[in-house]
Amino acid sequence: MKKLFKTFGVMAMASMLMLGSACGGGGTESTVDKEGNTIIKIMFHVDEKSAEGQAYKKRIDAFNAAYKDQKIKASASYIARTAGAADYEQKLTGMQNEGSLPDIITFDAPNCASYVKSGLIYDISNIVPQDVQNDFISLNKYDGKLYGLPIQESSAGFYYNKKIFADANIDVSGYTMENPWTFDQFKAVCQKLEDAGKTAVDMRLDATKDETATYLLYPFIYAAGGDFLSADGYTANGYFNSAATQSGFQFIKDLVTEGYTSYAIGATDFFDGKVGMYLSSGWTIPDLDNKYPAQFPNRDSWGLLPYPKGTAGASATGSWSFAITDNQHEDKTQIKELLLWLVTAESSKGITDATGMIPARKSVETNYAAGSPEAVLLSQLEKTGRERPATVGYPQFSNNFRQVIYDMKTKDLATVLTEKASALQAELDKLKGM
Amino acid sequence: MIGSTLAILGVLVAIFAAVAVKDVLVSRRKQMRYNLKNCLVSYGMMMPAVVLTFIFVLLPIIYSLGYAFTNFYLLKPNDIDFNGVDNFKQIFESIRSKGDMYHAICNTSVFVVCVVPLQIGLALGLALFVNRQKAGVGIFKVCYFAPVVISLTITAYLWLQILSPSEYGLLNSFLKLFGVAPKDFLRDPDRAMLWIVVLSAWQGCGYQMLIFLSGLTNIRKELYEAAALDGANVWQQFLHITCPGLRSTFLFVVITVFVGACRVMIQPMLMTGYQSHTVTLSYYMYVQGYSYRWVGYSSAVALLMTIVIGSITLLQRRLLREKD
Repeated sequence: MKKLFKTFGVMAMASMLMLGSACGGGGTESTVDKEGNTIIKIMFHVDEKSAEGQAYKKRIDAFNAAYKDQKIKASASYIARTAGAADYEQKLTGMQNEGSLPDIITFDAPNCASYVKSGLIYDISNIVPQDVQNDFISLNKYDGKLYGLPIQESSAGFYYNKKIFADANIDVSGYTMENPWTFDQFKAVCQKLEDAGKTAVDMRLDATKDETATYLLYPFIYAAGGDFLSADGYTANGYFNSAATQSGFQFIKDLVTEGYTSYAIGATDFFDGKVGMYLSSGWTIPDLDNKYPAQFPNRDSWGLLPYPKGTAGASATGSWSFAITDNQHEDKTQIKELLLWLVTAESSKGITDATGMIPARKSVETNYAAGSPEAVLLSQLEKTGRERPATVGYPQFSNNFRQVIYDMKTKDLATVLTEKASALQAELDKLKGM
Repeated sequence: MIGSTLAILGVLVAIFAAVAVKDVLVSRRKQMRYNLKNCLVSYGMMMPAVVLTFIFVLLPIIYSLGYAFTNFYLLKPNDIDFNGVDNFKQIFESIRSKGDMYHAICNTSVFVVCVVPLQIGLALGLALFVNRQKAGVGIFKVCYFAPVVISLTITAYLWLQILSPSEYGLLNSFLKLFGVAPKDFLRDPDRAMLWIVVLSAWQGCGYQMLIFLSGLTNIRKELYEAAALDGANVWQQFLHITCPGLRSTFLFVVITVFVGACRVMIQPMLMTGYQSHTVTLSYYMYVQGYSYRWVGYSSAVALLMTIVIGSITLLQRRLLREKD
């Protein structure tokens, strides 16, 4: 009998352990450790072992060393987004549900509005000193309040193959941020490239399966004088399908119909010397520096041009930011210390040195050579950088934008825009009551 | 969440206990000797499986069922309100207005109608081919089964290279030999889904081939010999011996392929992205629940999908039972 109860007990315990481990993992840990340190929790969206993760780790270690005497300790967790943004958001909302949200999180800038409306992130307008705010190239604001501080900045432009340009007798040295090229001049360059027997430009029209197409192409609509949504982010009809917005999309479509670009350009065609220009973000700079020595042996073999100007100038911006969460810790004094530490000029430089992106703060010494690709991106960001629409329904906006890019090849553009504006409006209407 | 989980667990433990008590009472009424020791050991043995089933099967189903009648928004997990049948009204409104739900149903139907016969036909053909006792057949078996063990993600990327709209794409390069201009196969609204059908049937048929193969080995060889002596040709042997012999295997394969086809998502997601001509029900559900954060609405779609798939599957099982 004893043996029987022992067996039964082991079985029951194993089951309870399974249940416990499955339901566990949450709970609110103490914010003060055994040594009396106040623990500030922070969650990053990257793998700890990545270059970016290592840069964060260094800054956290430095913070812990600097604040040892003040008994403040940062505890970092790294949730790599293995299955996309939804995976990371699910973790966040799970923590919110359990009351175990970390004190500081990283978040993708276009999600600012929805995170604010969901009560996930905290108003830091009065926490971040005004001089610090003024030093940022951009800030994550919603309804006039500050909610996030960018970790780094990004911008995009047209990488071009100097040999192909020289062979086609094209001189683009005069197209700078001070003297930006226009839509017509852009087309003229494309025509010359086509005359030289090359595909003129890879506009990344095939990148509609993720955010890439939205990020790279939305500036053309702003540059044409168009818009996507009303100021409150809840109206698409009349904006998403306005005449000016249509003209922005039409410019992209014309590039296809005139044969300057296509949906069929291979991922490496530019790097193999088959295409004259390539629209991409700053993350392509390390690739051109290191991966394609045959076509691009050094920086004299390629250049970077800004976005062309329509009725206005506009260029892509936006990256990940830090935010303080609206968790159960009402006293944000020590959390503020960590937040401000992570956005110091030193932190900003350390992180961007690892990622190759542009520092978010103006005061960071960048030492970019005049005319270098990095200098072009920075200058463009400061002069024409324009954020993607601030709306609670950003995923819905982005999805519909990408469907327009996809569908306009085979369908009438005005019809597609009207259809997608209605679909987006229906989604935004659902969000109004939230 | 933990509170409701424990409440559900409590209900299930109560059901479990009631079954055990009933077991004891029935035994006593029938004046059977009830062996408490054996009984406890049996229930103890069952408990880990029951707990795992509870956590990973029952709990998600019960929650999903409940969420279908709420306005659950992913970013507001603490603010869930019961909204009756609003989600279902929205679903039917999306169908009525020919929105994405309508496209998802149409595309999924096209996929199921095309892929089930194609995949099963291919699997049966391959099984009959490799069932012959000839040298080198083992190599064919491995080749046909290989796509099953390769990740669907890799398979989809492989087919993206084959169907690339670039003139350097594999299929376009081949067509170029015959003077055909490059085609954008996956952007063609009329044919994109058919390419996804081809990929899926090719990828999945190896597994069903193995099932058919095991069914074929159960058919006695003497039947074929006797039929041959009676002058039956290969086609007649297939029709009158192989087909009846494989009927139960065939119906099992139909059910599993049908259920799998109804849940197709990865292929359109990787090959075209979210587009009206390729979005499927599972993909639509995923986008609504995770990208758009409408967990309640997405759960309602899942519930309807489960009811439809479940009903058809039950019908198929009934057919199987009647014929047996």
